[in-house]
Amino acid sequence: MSDPGAVGGSVTYQRLVHKNSSGFHYMKVSLVFEKEGKRIDGAFFKQLIISALRNVYGEIGAAFPFDVLKFEEKSLTAVLRVYNSGLVKLWSALTLLGSYQNETCAVRVVQVLLPYQYTGGP
Amino acid sequence: IQTSAMFSELQKCPRNVLVCERSSFMNEKSRHDKHVSQHYFNYKVSARRYGCDGGVSGVEETGGWGWMGALTALCVLCDPGRFYALSYKTRIDQDDVVALLPLLILSVVKDTYEQLGLEGRPSQYYGSSALLVGTEAWSLPPCLSRYPWKELQASVDTQTLRDLPCPVLHGDDLRGETACEPHAFLEWLGAVAFVICSENEATSFLSTYECPEPRTLVDQAVLCTVTGLLLPEDIHSLLEELRRYFDQPKSSSWLSLVVHGFADSPISWGMAEHGFHKGGENFYSFVLFKNQDYWLHMGTGANDGCPP
Repeated sequence: MSDPGAVGGSVTYQRLVHKNSSGFHYMKVSLVFEKEGKRIDGAFFKQLIISALRNVYGEIGAAFPFDVLKFEEKSLTAVLRVYNSGLVKLWSALTLLGSYQNETCAVRVVQVLLPYQYTGGP
Repeated sequence: IQTSAMFSELQKCPRNVLVCERSSFMNEKSRHDKHVSQHYFNYKVSARRYGCDGGVSGVEETGGWGWMGALTALCVLCDPGRFYALSYKTRIDQDDVVALLPLLILSVVKDTYEQLGLEGRPSQYYGSSALLVGTEAWSLPPCLSRYPWKELQASVDTQTLRDLPCPVLHGDDLRGETACEPHAFLEWLGAVAFVICSENEATSFLSTYECPEPRTLVDQAVLCTVTGLLLPEDIHSLLEELRRYFDQPKSSSWLSLVVHGFADSPISWGMAEHGFHKGGENFYSFVLFKNQDYWLHMGTGANDGCPP
């Protein structure tokens, strides 16, 4: 990492204001199955969300990327990252999800975060 | 035409503001003291060191004690200079919230406002709420003075990460033109806190997130987090301690200090009203450099004004 230089405090004051310029939103979500004890992996979880998006918005409407940044298999909780333009569609599709592969389930959106709030960790 | 209008509505997202400042602790006019002092209600502070050995001194010794009242009441006043309180498990957009600085601040719903008979002003963000700011903390309305209160002890958690990809920062490049851009840097801070893998391929199915470029690999990073009702005075002390860390012969080039305000606090900085909206964003982050320069990022959400 570069070192800016000697102690001196001669730096000029600088201030920048960014409005709505964060590209992503982050969501902490929790998956709940009606049948307790079901175990799935991250890939299954992402496919479940893609299926939910297609059910509501179709192939074209669901064609936007999102990341499963973290998935915990024990608690079935995850942190998702989505572009701002996809937040409403992703959130609404998760809310409307009622089942997947004939298993009754639901996704609870625990929190919606911006990068700075996301810095706080779990 | 109607379809495309509806589609554009789906692409909207909540407003957010991020203010980035760059200055030096040695600068007489530096505003870091004022920003820290005026952000009264903080629930989590995380100090992080990247590279080199040893812990992050000062965080473990931070007092972090505070007093938290159960909803709507505190009936005892101690030394006004060190008395802060915030009602517990109350939601700013739905419930009555009480805060003491020791100046009394109330965010109340319509029914409570009518019952109190005090003068306030309508909330900027919630149509059925009002914000009241008192002038003397001991003029507590009788209906609020009979509830239990308790002291909340802060908890400290330390985490060590190995072989961590870490973005390169240039102290004089706040905008991130030659190094890491502010939003990407804050995103990376979050990835570290959540212990999220930041070495994914662009073709990976699950996640394509990776540490921003340019980057380096550090052998060890230490994260020390204090959670509780944390006072501005404690954060001042911690900041001073972190500045002294660079006096050590083998210190890393920069440290970060992340401070989160309560999502349900009635105020953010100073007396500016704070609202929850979708996340209650209410945060600031220092990046301290070896030459006593610093970056300060302050973020708020849709139901907030611009940070100072």
